[in-house]
Amino acid sequence: MSVAGATGIFDSVQRSSAMAASARRRRMRLLPYVLLAPSLLFLGLFTYLPVARVVVESLYDKPHGTGAATSFVGLGNYARVLSDPAFHKAALNNLVYAVGVLVPTLVLALAFALAVQRSTRFSAVLRTVFFFPSLVPLVAAASLFFFIFLPGVGLLDYYLAKLGLHGPNWLGDSDVALWSIIGLTVWKNAGYYMLFYIAGLQNVPRDTVEAAMIDGANAWQRLRFVILPALAPTTAFVTVIALIQLLTSVDHVIVLTRGGPSNATNLLLYYIFQSAHENFEYGKAAAATLISVAVLLAISFGSLRIMERGARGNG
Amino acid sequence: MTIVTRLGMGALALTFATAALPAWAQTKIEFFFPVPVEGKLAREMTRLTKLYNESQKGVEVTAVYTGGYDDTKLKAQAAAKAGKPPSVVLMSANFLVDLKLSGDILPLEPMLKADETTRDDYLKDFWPALHANAVVDGELYGVPFHNSTPLLYYNVEHFKEAGIDPAKPPRTWVELVDAAKKLTKGDRYGFLMPAGYDYLGWLMEALSMSNGGRYFNEEYGGEVYYDQPSMLGAARFVEDLIFKHKVMPQGVTEAGGVSTQFFAGKASMVLLSTGSLSFIRENMKQAYDVAFVPKNVRNAVPIGGASLVMFAGQSEDSKKAGWKFIKWLTTPETLGGWSRFTGYFAPRKSSYDKPEMKEFIAKNPDAKVALDQLPYAKPWFATYQTVAVRKALEDEIQAMMNGKKKADQAVKDAQKKADELMRPYVEQTSLKLP
Amino acid sequence: MMRLRKQLSAALLAALLSAIAFLWATPFLWTLVASFRPESAGSADMASLLPDLHPTLENFRNALDSGTFGLYYVNTIIVVAGVLAVQCVTVSLAGYAFARLRFPGRDFLFYAFLLQLMLVPPALIVPNLRTVVDLGLYDTLPGVMAPYFASAFGTFLMRQTFLALPRDFEEAAAIDGAPWWAIIWYVLLPMAKPGLVAFAIVSITAHWNEFLWPLMVINSPSNQTLTIGLASFAMGAEGGKEWGVLAAGTLLVMAPLAVAFVAFQRRFVDSFVFSGVKG
Repeated sequence: MSVAGATGIFDSVQRSSAMAASARRRRMRLLPYVLLAPSLLFLGLFTYLPVARVVVESLYDKPHGTGAATSFVGLGNYARVLSDPAFHKAALNNLVYAVGVLVPTLVLALAFALAVQRSTRFSAVLRTVFFFPSLVPLVAAASLFFFIFLPGVGLLDYYLAKLGLHGPNWLGDSDVALWSIIGLTVWKNAGYYMLFYIAGLQNVPRDTVEAAMIDGANAWQRLRFVILPALAPTTAFVTVIALIQLLTSVDHVIVLTRGGPSNATNLLLYYIFQSAHENFEYGKAAAATLISVAVLLAISFGSLRIMERGARGNG
Repeated sequence: MTIVTRLGMGALALTFATAALPAWAQTKIEFFFPVPVEGKLAREMTRLTKLYNESQKGVEVTAVYTGGYDDTKLKAQAAAKAGKPPSVVLMSANFLVDLKLSGDILPLEPMLKADETTRDDYLKDFWPALHANAVVDGELYGVPFHNSTPLLYYNVEHFKEAGIDPAKPPRTWVELVDAAKKLTKGDRYGFLMPAGYDYLGWLMEALSMSNGGRYFNEEYGGEVYYDQPSMLGAARFVEDLIFKHKVMPQGVTEAGGVSTQFFAGKASMVLLSTGSLSFIRENMKQAYDVAFVPKNVRNAVPIGGASLVMFAGQSEDSKKAGWKFIKWLTTPETLGGWSRFTGYFAPRKSSYDKPEMKEFIAKNPDAKVALDQLPYAKPWFATYQTVAVRKALEDEIQAMMNGKKKADQAVKDAQKKADELMRPYVEQTSLKLP
Repeated sequence: MMRLRKQLSAALLAALLSAIAFLWATPFLWTLVASFRPESAGSADMASLLPDLHPTLENFRNALDSGTFGLYYVNTIIVVAGVLAVQCVTVSLAGYAFARLRFPGRDFLFYAFLLQLMLVPPALIVPNLRTVVDLGLYDTLPGVMAPYFASAFGTFLMRQTFLALPRDFEEAAAIDGAPWWAIIWYVLLPMAKPGLVAFAIVSITAHWNEFLWPLMVINSPSNQTLTIGLASFAMGAEGGKEWGVLAAGTLLVMAPLAVAFVAFQRRFVDSFVFSGVKG
């Protein structure tokens, strides 16, 4: 073989391996998209497509069962939703519900976590008891609480009577009903968030705590000035998760009160559910969905900002 | 055997085989049913369905328990929307207008024609009070299955203790308040009525009818009469029971809670459906009795209960199968048996001519009272968007029972909301002018 | 003196905690007691926490009668297992992409995933139902499972997990010529097991207990899950309720998770802790 020939073969080998390399590079460039494809498919179908549909649907109105045609109403549905007193009540209720659940839940979760820190048998039992409610489906918890809240002979009233007290109509008094739902939710969720705090507590720098003790700080001061700040990222994380959950679970309303009495326990998601499935006002339901989603996003982004700042602060 | 004979036998066998095929090609249909009272009824209905399936081969019915009346409507319509309508649904009797307007249910006239009977002939055996809710715009849309009226249940022992003659229960609103005042003491209330969704609307209809009025326009689904004197008076009456006479607790109590209180002796008189008759008979430990709903102007009560309807969008085979099942479910004997089991009254007059029924009534006089109230029974309210229009009233009355509104304001607001809900229909009908 | 004060406050604290724990456990104690109590729908003492002297299994029999609980169990297991199986695939792949690969549009896609955390399927229930119908999946178990196949939460979890793993093993494998899928399967996943386990437990619990979405998608009783079965129990309308049967039914629904929790308590708690720390 001549040198030229050998070089030619060498060239072609180099070229083919270069081609193989570039082919491989091309594949590598496409790889991330291939990996993400399945997730993106489902995300598209069940998160983004619905949002698009909702936006479109919210602009139309098809009166149910009158034979009238679907008509384009532009922002008409939004106006109807925003002027609907039931929507106002649902939004207000959701706000009260969110704060009313979040604050006690966080406090209790932290308190429980602090209480069961040590790994004694007793702590293990406590941990089980507190955590257990979160394992149970909300529907099951609601059924139990239906009995607990039963006027007169239910669990609460029965034992209150033994103490000589008289409870209100837990689910039938429009001033109390929402708080009963709040109570049920706190009972159910506190134990779940307790676990996050247990994890968070393990990350509190031991030396800082000891330094504070040496400086003569008592338990309260240690809590306020050392532990709580160190737990900021955990608190932020729990808050975001809790808020999302609070806006998107209405199982207990469905089972216990169906929004009543007189909208006292109507929540945004339940309002949407009712508009769509009981009143067949799909345009209105779509508009309400979009409004709720906007609120959800605003809250989440807001809290994420805080979380990110906290995470960056802690390195 | 000769070849011809063999061939002949073969042909015969083939004919039999193909004739038997339809029996093998079963029609499968779905039957949605609510059970308004308790789990036992759901089990019984499932048992009845199984009985039907075993009694014949052509149709296989899958019975689906779908919760309460409102939930059943929800589920049936959701299924229809998704393209899989149930064949037969036991639907609250007053949803027929709503469902017909939305095109969800089929007229049963073609089935009657195929059976060579007319609507009038078919309905002759059913109590007159039930006809109006089963017929929409002159066509039959549902077959009544079990019906009820509200009844006043009262604790006989409490009566004796308070010095009231148990054989003379209150007949008028005046007597009711009187008795309730004597019975209320300690943590026991003289009177209690369910105020949850669906029940409250029904009972308010009963009270406003007893007050001389009509809740709605029976012939036109676009008008309700919430702010008229008869309903206003009924609302004020309920308000007074709670706040003026103090014989009823404040707030909303669900039906389950009301019966529980009755059993526990914490409520002496309760307004409940005849559908709860069996449940109460079985669980009430103290002596009790039943009476008509007390009147203010006249004796009048709405019927309650459910009818069998067929949903649109099913195949011809499915329709035939569904109709066969409906006919089986509504024979006088089956209806009578169900009535004795549940406490609902049987919609067929002929059910009461059967010996088992006569014996049952003789042994259980409380069942007879429900029957005696029938001549005073009127149609259940049925309008365009029945559920939403009903809730418009219920939400306001619930607010009133919680002390948030006065009766006058409540009925006014209810009327306003109801009118707005019915506007789309009204604008397409009576307000649509050339 | 200080010692005594400390011991006293410790004892007080323990007592307080026990009281709260008792309060917390009361609903379950009642469920346990009531499910064995003979049927007495109206007895004024049915709220009592003291067990009846003649316990009975009648309530369980009635509960099992009313709903085909065996079928509900099977359906629920199918849904939970199906969702988890697909999720493991999607989140591992996506997590790896975000953790180890650099590509244009990465941040944008990351936010796209982030959005799904907030826009959970129940929030978009009306349009999602329409999509499921359009796909022909109405009243089927896959219809219940489909919206959850992609999980932003799982993706983030796996991303965190992978990020925390040292790159040496992968680099060694890459030098040896291993293709990407081999690297993921043989090198990364075994090391990421705690993350996967954590995710699995969260996913299983969430989907075992889910109610609203399956309620809307499923109609036929043969496809119903445990939560739907229980709800039809609890939602009967016009009349009374059999509380003992309700308690028994609730117990039947809670039982598997409860048993699993007690048996694997350590694992359960650790995995939640793990997902919390990394979350």
